Amino acid sequence: MDNAAAFEKVVGIIKPFVKNQEAFAKPSEGTRIIEDLGVNSARLVDIILAFEDEFGIEVDDESADKVRTLGDAVQMIQRKTAPAH
Amino acid sequence: MLPVRARLGLRVQEVLSQALIPVTYYGIVGWLRYRRYRVPDLSRLRAEFAALDRGRRGPLLVCANHITLVDSLVIQWALAPGWRLLVRPRWFIWNLPDRHNISATWFLRTLGYLGKCVPVLREGPPEEARRTLEKVAFLLARGQSVLVFPEGGRSRIGHVDLDRVMYGVGRMLQQAPGARVLCVYARGIGQREHSDYPRPGETFFVRLSAFAPSTAHQGIRADRDLAMQIVGRLVEMEQEYFAHANLDR
Repeated sequence: MDNAAAFEKVVGIIKPFVKNQEAFAKPSEGTRIIEDLGVNSARLVDIILAFEDEFGIEVDDESADKVRTLGDAVQMIQRKTAPAH
Repeated sequence: MLPVRARLGLRVQEVLSQALIPVTYYGIVGWLRYRRYRVPDLSRLRAEFAALDRGRRGPLLVCANHITLVDSLVIQWALAPGWRLLVRPRWFIWNLPDRHNISATWFLRTLGYLGKCVPVLREGPPEEARRTLEKVAFLLARGQSVLVFPEGGRSRIGHVDLDRVMYGVGRMLQQAPGARVLCVYARGIGQREHSDYPRPGETFFVRLSAFAPSTAHQGIRADRDLAMQIVGRLVEMEQEYFAHANLDR
């Protein structure tokens, strides 16, 4: 999956949890999920589980803890969906 | 796993808290009475709690709604008299207040320590959350009782806030096989929205519901499933409160 497609899916998954719609109007890879988008930190777990369902991946606690921005989420998904060599 | 130093710290806190129950418990109850707070069916609640615990050992996770800073004090007061805590240390419940709420003065810090508080940093780094979970796991493994507010903080909408539910309570339960869950719904009948303290002279509605959540999921899905079952029970208790509010008032 290319970066743009993954980014679009990530944005779609996060959308229902966003409180700051203004910041969400122009999302970028540097957009911070909690601080900029106003997503309740308690809902990050729901977002991670939605990533698992959407992309067929498993996310461990350590990887989940590192997801702070939309770009972090995309990179994590890219890593986990990349074919093993 | 919790470092030895932290484990030792909790054991020391437990011993000191237990030894000073006559001062802390009755001091706090004195303050609650000074504020003219009232739990009308105190004897019935205490008998109900005692019956729920009769003949049982092992950890107890008390899960409650959260709307004022004194919820944990009211719950402890409602569940057992001080003298009972002296003979049943397990009934003196650990709780997990926001560090900011009990660190303002030395008096609050001391009271929190002797009140079996394990301060937590809300919205803190993941390591902080993990450390808290380790402490709770340690306490539950020792058969202690721990009070948790699954909403993570005081509800800002006046009732159980599903949007704020933290799934940590599910993790605590998974880490303590055999732990029982007691849901407690408590609120002052004049309490419309969150506040630091209930109004003076407040009368509290308190209800208990023992509960055995289970899940077929694993990992964080199980955390979520268990937490949502617990919060679902609190929501049912809240609906019952509002349905019968006129009768109880």
